[in-house]
Parts: sequence; C-alpha cells; structure tokens
Amino acid sequence: MLETAVLSVDRVNKRFGGILALQDLSFEVQAGEVLGLMGPNGAGKTTLLNVIAGTYSPSSGRVNFRGRNITGFPAHKVCHLGIARTYQIPQPFTSLSARQNILVAAKYGGKKAAGMEHDKIFDLVNLSEQKDMLARDLATVSLKRLELARALASNPTLILLDEIAAGSTDAELPRILGMIEEIRKMGKTVVLVEHVMKVMVEAVDRIIVIDKGAKIAEGTPGEVMKDEKVMAAYFG
Amino acid sequence: MKIPRLTTLASVAVLVVLALFPVIGVPLSWLNYLFTFFIYLALANMWNLLAGYTGLICLCPHAFVGLAGYTLAIGTWVGVPFQAGLIAGAAVAALFALIISYPVFRMKGIYFAIGTLILPEVLKAWFNFWRPVGNAYQGMGAGYSVKGVAGVTLGDTYWLALAIAAASIFLVHIILRARLGLGLKAIRDNENTAASSGVNIFRLKLSSFLIAAFIMGLAGAAYFIFSPRIQPTGGFTISWLLLPLMATVIGGEGSEEGPIIGAAIVTFLRFLLADYGAWSLLIQGIILLVVVVVMPQGIAGLLRQVGAYRFPQKLFQAAEGKIRKA
Amino acid sequence: MEVTLVGLAGPLIKGILLGGLYVVIALGLSLVFGVMKLINVGHGDLVILGSYFALAAMTWLGMDPFLSLVIGLPLFFGLGFLVQKFIINRTFRISLDAALIATFGISIIVQGLVQARFTAFGMSLATDYRLLTFDVGAVTIPLRYLLDFIGGLAVMIALREFLRRTYLGRAISAASQNEPVAERMGINPNRVYSFAFAIAMACAAVAGVLQGLTFSFQPTSGPPFLIISFGVIILGGLGSMAGTFIGGMIFGLTQTLGAYLSGGSMLVQAIAPYLLVFVVLSIRPQGIFGR
Repeated sequence: MLETAVLSVDRVNKRFGGILALQDLSFEVQAGEVLGLMGPNGAGKTTLLNVIAGTYSPSSGRVNFRGRNITGFPAHKVCHLGIARTYQIPQPFTSLSARQNILVAAKYGGKKAAGMEHDKIFDLVNLSEQKDMLARDLATVSLKRLELARALASNPTLILLDEIAAGSTDAELPRILGMIEEIRKMGKTVVLVEHVMKVMVEAVDRIIVIDKGAKIAEGTPGEVMKDEKVMAAYFG
Repeated sequence: MKIPRLTTLASVAVLVVLALFPVIGVPLSWLNYLFTFFIYLALANMWNLLAGYTGLICLCPHAFVGLAGYTLAIGTWVGVPFQAGLIAGAAVAALFALIISYPVFRMKGIYFAIGTLILPEVLKAWFNFWRPVGNAYQGMGAGYSVKGVAGVTLGDTYWLALAIAAASIFLVHIILRARLGLGLKAIRDNENTAASSGVNIFRLKLSSFLIAAFIMGLAGAAYFIFSPRIQPTGGFTISWLLLPLMATVIGGEGSEEGPIIGAAIVTFLRFLLADYGAWSLLIQGIILLVVVVVMPQGIAGLLRQVGAYRFPQKLFQAAEGKIRKA
Repeated sequence: MEVTLVGLAGPLIKGILLGGLYVVIALGLSLVFGVMKLINVGHGDLVILGSYFALAAMTWLGMDPFLSLVIGLPLFFGLGFLVQKFIINRTFRISLDAALIATFGISIIVQGLVQARFTAFGMSLATDYRLLTFDVGAVTIPLRYLLDFIGGLAVMIALREFLRRTYLGRAISAASQNEPVAERMGINPNRVYSFAFAIAMACAAVAGVLQGLTFSFQPTSGPPFLIISFGVIILGGLGSMAGTFIGGMIFGLTQTLGAYLSGGSMLVQAIAPYLLVFVVLSIRPQGIFGR
C-alpha cells in the first residue's frame, strides 16, 4: 500500500482524570492537503492538536508522522521532525521583538529551519511594519499573525493552525485565505481548526468533524455540511 | 584593523585598573571591600542568569557555595592543595546540580522554589554529622579549617575574586548573545511555546543550572580561601541566598548591568551594617521588602524607564563615530 | 539494634501524636496558599516567631506559653492582617514572583529580629510540664506530643467550623475555590486575603507555642518548618483538610520511625522529612488525595 499519508492518527484516546477527551479517534492527512477540523466547543479539537504536537501524550493509540511513530514524543522533538503549531490564544515571547520571536523557532526548530527567509515570512503574514516591535506591545490581531510567522519559521512539513481567523473582520478573511493558499503552495500540509465557516469551507480540501472527542463525520465540505449527525452536534 | 567598540575598551580599561590595585599600593581595606564586591557580583550574575533570564527562581545558591567550600576544606585535609580544591569545589557543586536536576526540573514554579530550598537544608544537616577526617566534633562546632593557605595574601585572593567576577560578567555577556541566551529568554517568557518551537527545555535549563552552580561554587570556594574556616551554619547560611537575591532585585532583574549595581549596593550595605550583628539581617530584610514593593524593576529598570540610558548611549555612539572617521 | 513489633508501638504512637504539630503548622500555610495561591516563604519563620514570643512572655512576664496566647493570638492576627494589607496585597499587583520575594523578605526580617533579640543559641520553652511523660502500657509518651495532637485536632476543627459556619469563613472558602465568581458576588478579594493571612498568623502563634514545647529552636529553625509544612500540604493534597491531617501524621511518623529504625541517628531524623518532601515534589506533586 502506498503510504502517502503525512500524518496518521490511529485510535487515539486521551483521558484527563475521569474525562475522556478523545475517543478512539482515527484519521489520516494526505501530503499537501488542507484538512479542516470542526466541532462544537469542547469537542476536543485543541486537545487533539496538543496530542499531535507532543504537548500531551495519548492515553492509548498511535500517532504516525511521515511513516514514523511519534506517539509520546516531547514537543520539541515533534517540532524538529517537522510539525509546527499555533495557539488559539496567542502565546508569544512577550519580552522579545517579533523578529526575535520567530528567531527562536528558526534557531531551535531543526536544521530544516535554515530554509526560510524571515522577511518573506513577515510579508506573508503582513507583519513587516512590526518586525522590531516587542511582542508585549503588539495588538492581539498582530499576535495571531505572529503565531503563524513563528510556526512557519521552523520550516515545518505539517502546520497545525488553531483558529487563526477567530476575531477577524469579514474584510480580513480574503487575506487569511490567501495566507493559507501561500502555505499550501510552499508544499506544506495544513490541519486547520476553525469556527469561521467561510474560511473552513473555502480553504480546505476535506473536513473531519468531531464531537465529544469522537469522529462523527468525514468528507468534503459539501458532504459534511449536509450530514445529519453534524447538524445534530451543532444544533442539538 | 577592526576598532573594538568603545564599551569593550572601557570595560577592559576598568579591568586593568582594578587588576593593578594590589600592585600600586592601594589601601588593604579597599582590597577587602572589592574582594567582597567581586564575590557578591559573581553570585548575583549567576542568580540573575537563573531567575532573570531563565525564569528559574532557585533558592539553593547556599547549597552550591557551602558544598564547594566543604570540598575545598576537606580536600586540604587529605592532601589536595587549595588551588586544585578551588576547581574541585566548583566541579562538585556542578556535579551536585547535575544529579539534582533530574528530579528538580520536574517541579514547576513554586514547587521548584521549595524543592531547591530543601537542598541546602539537607546539606547543612549532613555536614553537621559527617566528619570524614579530623577530630570528632558535634553540632554547631563541626567545622573545618582550610589548610595550607597561610602564604596567601589579600592581593592574591583579590585577583582570584576579580577573575571570577570578570568571568561571570563575560559568561553572561556571551550567553545572551548566543543561541542559548535566546532560548533561555524564550523559556522564561513562555515555556510551552518554546517547547513547541523546538527548544529542549530540560537541556537548556540544565545548562543554565550547571553554569550557575559552577561559578557560584568557584565564588564560594574563593571566599573560603580568604576566610579559611567553614562550618555548617556559615557554609550554608541563608545569607548566600539573600545577597545575590537582594543584589538582583535592587539592581534590576533581567539586565546585564543590574547585578553590578545591585552587588555594589549590597556590598556597601554589608560594610555599613557590619557592626550591628543580627540587626543587619533585619535591616537587609526590610530593605528587600521595601525595594520589591516600591521599585520592583530595580535600579536598572528604573533607569531604563526614565530613559537615562539614551544620553550616554548617544554620547558613546557619537564618540565611536568620531573615532572611526579619524 | 533490634526492631521489634512491640518496639515499633512507641514510635508509631509518638509519630501520630507528633503529627498534630505539623498539622497546625501546615494549616496556616495551606489557608494562604488556597486563597491566594501564594506560598509564604516566611511561614516557618513566623511559627518560630510565635515560639520566641511565648519565650518572651515566659521570661519577662512569667506567663505559661498557652496563657500567653491570650495576648499572642490577637497580636499575631493583627500583625498578619496589616502585613497582608499593606505589603503583600501591593506586591500582587506587580507579579506573583514579587509576592514570593516579599515573603522571603519577611522570612529574613523575622530571622534577623529574633537573632538580634535572643542570640543564635538554641532555646526552648522550659515549662514545668515540658518534660513530663506518661505510660500507655509499655510505651512511654512525652506529654508534649499529646499536647501537639490535641492542638492539631483542636485547630483543625476550629478552622473547619469557622470556614463552614461564619460569613467570613465561607467567603474565604469561596474565594479559594473560585475567585472571579466570588468577586462578582460581592466578596472583596483583598479583604479576604487580609483575613486569611491574619488567621494563618494566628495559627502560627499556636503552632509556635506547641513547637517551642516540643523541640528546641533557633533563629534558623524557620525554613525546615516551611519545607515540612509544604510537604504536608502537598502530600495530603491541596485543599483537603483531611489530607493535611494525614499528611501531618505521615511526617510525624517519618521522624519517629526514622529515628527508631536507624537506631537513634540524628542525621536520619533530620534528613528523612526533607527527603520525603523532595520525593513527593518530584514524583507526585498532586499528593495522595489529589488527582
């Protein structure tokens, strides 16, 4: 069987005390695709990203990246192997400038990180004017873009984006769609968690819907939107 | 020929002048004063490296100081000359830090702070009872003299301390400009983000910890060459924690010049209050309390806020410009 | 030295009784930690301050230490209230690290104060009844250990009832469980903090009396008690009073059993509690009762 899946999540469970946050979750992400991850609040989307990125270890199950079992690998090792992620609420290095923020990822993100030009990254995320400003002085909307810049700086193969469109105005959405398209053109694979429907529907190739930690639907945006189970999960 | 920066030249000039002090016949009290300043400076720089740059509030400097001191002292009883004992002491302190790092770095925040506080208490108790050489002794008198230092002059120890202090400044300086410095600041600001950006948190914290332990050990051993008697209470006194902590808080955490300013003030205070015995401890505590409430950013932070650096900076830049043209 | 089952009875009983002392010491620390998420680095020193206060009352006023609490309790309560209100509350506005450093400052101040006033030599509260013992079967029990246990029980019950039944107590409980909600219900967090710290200091006064009767003390005896009481609350699980009680017992037992099993080694007695705290911190910081 031809192994084209960049990431495969295999029957992953994650338990926190008495709560089962992820239930027997399995799916694959193909190289070069943009995969959307949807689900009502508390469904476990961020937990799933945390498990993939190595912040948490799964209670059971496997995570494979480019054919390699990375289950339980620590976050920094996962980054070196080529997975980067953004945080839903921006988590910058507050005392450092925007440039230094991405420099951390560039210098520590592994040998491949040398391939990214920082000025180009700042252009892509539209932060060129604020390059030398301290992170603590940046507005939240700029910080969100800084998250993306930092994720790109380690030159990852797979990027996990956690709600980068949240809080954006309608006018800003085309810009965001453009950024995702640029990333795709670089040959990177993207997993996108998003609540903003327009972004979800137009940017992604496929969507996976999870609710209460379990996968309830998978398919193209068109298919998923018509799925009864998805309706039920969101609208009760 | 590349003209070195003016600040570097100025620093080297100061260093040379200080090094010449014992030779040009400066009063011995000055040497005494500066010796103390250099030791406190080395300790403060290391505490600042841990707390100000790595975000590790470590309450165990007195463990490193005492351990190095005891290694030195006991070494001189078994035939290890104090020169080697100095290095051995620092090495033992670093080794101790290495061993302890595995459990200790599993602890976060306040747990880490209290966890590190346990170390000097354990060592103090240990050395109350452990006497591998020499006559039997009990309790608070269980100390050792440092042998073989009779020929060491104040000038010698002065140079030793100057070297250690200079090394501490130099180390912090190059760390901050290297990749390690960036990683440490990242850890200080946001550990999770640092990890997901590829920073090996444990390894970097360990590097910081080992460097600090080694230099603090050096400073401690140097002190016990100067004052060649060690006991559990003196070797592991909380003063070895208070002094660098105070220096860093007063001078300003997370800046290079902060510890220098702070150490100068703390040394001054020490000598000022020297005749007051335990009251000096009380007064130092009050000063620490007042500073942390009223001026938590320290003097360096205050200067920065007031823009006091801009004028000297412009002056330096203008001077450099003129020199380059000449 | 022979370890017998009968011989174990003594250390077991003594350890449990001694645990009461550690419970009293830990309760103050636990209250402050629960409400403000702050570990008072000077907590052990404040307990020792309580011991020295009782000593002063004994030496200059001829008062029995327990009787001196009539003055000591309100004094410590008031002092704690003022310290929290004017110092620690201010540091919270700066950062949690600043608050920690402030408590370290308090620790140093207390150590300097008692050393200046009472010298660095070891002291104890030498009352007439201090060295009394009584026999339970084959076991000889020092009276002061029994007093520790009674004290531990009494303070724990008093505190529990206070937290449950009085308005202030319930406000403190609410603030320690969910501060934003408590605040929206009209509870002023700064006020709650001040009272919590005041109560913690009152506990320290009681602990100081008990401690001074049980062990000898010096100006540097504070940090060991801080470490042990921290260990007690971590081991027992944060926020659980029953856990704190059991944690106290465990530490008492660590000392007495450690002494017994090592043939009376003072080194083991001194170090065993520290090692226990260290191990708990590195392996299971959520404690026995925590999740």
